[in-house]
Amino acid sequence: MSVRHDSLGRLLLRCYPRAWRERYGNELLDLLSDVPLTPRVLFDVASSGFALRSAAARRALQGDTVMTIRPAWRHPTAFAVVGALLILPTLFFVASSMLAYELNLTAVRDLVAPIQAAMTSVRAVDLLLVLAPALAAVAAVAPLLRLGWERRDGTLQAVVTVRALAPNVAVGLVAIGLGALLVWHIVVESVLQAGA
Amino acid sequence: MSNPAPTNDPGLLLMISLASGPKHGHAMLLDIADFAGVRLGPGTLYGALSRLEEEGHVAPLPSEGRRRPYRLTPGGRRVLEGRLGGLNRAVRTGLQRVGA
Repeated sequence: MSVRHDSLGRLLLRCYPRAWRERYGNELLDLLSDVPLTPRVLFDVASSGFALRSAAARRALQGDTVMTIRPAWRHPTAFAVVGALLILPTLFFVASSMLAYELNLTAVRDLVAPIQAAMTSVRAVDLLLVLAPALAAVAAVAPLLRLGWERRDGTLQAVVTVRALAPNVAVGLVAIGLGALLVWHIVVESVLQAGA
Repeated sequence: MSNPAPTNDPGLLLMISLASGPKHGHAMLLDIADFAGVRLGPGTLYGALSRLEEEGHVAPLPSEGRRRPYRLTPGGRRVLEGRLGGLNRAVRTGLQRVGA
C-alpha cells in the first residue's frame, strides 16, 4: 500500500465509530490496499462509516450503550504547546508592564516601551494579545474534555469526563490567570480614565 | 455471470460466500462478484461482517499475516439455510407464475 493510499484509508476510517475502528480498522485498511480507490469505493467506505455511527448513536439514545463525543485530537500535549505559544506574547506584555510600570523599574521600561508600542500599534495584534489567553485556554483544555450521554433509570443523562494531563492543565490555568489579570487591568484602567 | 443474484443483501451474500469455507475480506469480495454478479464495496462488506459477527453468525479465525479470515458458525449456517429456504420458495413460485 502506498503512503498516499494508506493516508486516504486512515482518513476514511475516521468516519467510523472509535470502537469499530479499533476492532476492524486494520482489516478494512488491508482490504482497501487490495482494491483501487475509485470514487465509488470511497463513497461506499465513507457512507458505511456514517451509517455505523448513526446506528451507534441510535442505540445509545435507546439506552443500549454509552455514547461519547470527544475532540478528535489525538495529541493533547501538542495542543498544550500551541496554547503555550499563543500566550507567550501576552505573558511578555503583561509581565514587562508590571515590572516597568507597577514596580517602576526604569531600565525595564526603557527596554520594553518601544517593543510594547510596536506590538500595540497594529489594532489586530493588539486585539490578538487580549484574546490570546482565551484562545490558549480553549486549545489546552478542550482536548481534555469528553462529553457523553447515557440512559440511567429511564432518563437521558449527560456525562462530562475531564482528563487531567499536567501540561494542558498548567497552560490552561496560566492562560485563565493571565486572562483574568488582563481583564482586571482593562477594567481598572477604564475606571481610572472615567474618573479622570 | 449473466444474471445477477435474486438478492443484493450483503449479509446474505456474505454468509453464502462463507458457506464454502473460511475467507478473508478480499476473497469474499471476489467470490461474491463471481457467484452473484454483485460488486460489494469494502465498507459495505465490513459493515455487514461486523453486524454478522455481533449476531454470532460468523466468527473470526486467527490472522494470516495482515489478513483475518472469517468462518460461518453453526448458528449462522442454520440462519443461512432458513433464509435460503424462504428465498427458494419465492423463486420457485415466481418461476411457476411466469411459466419458466
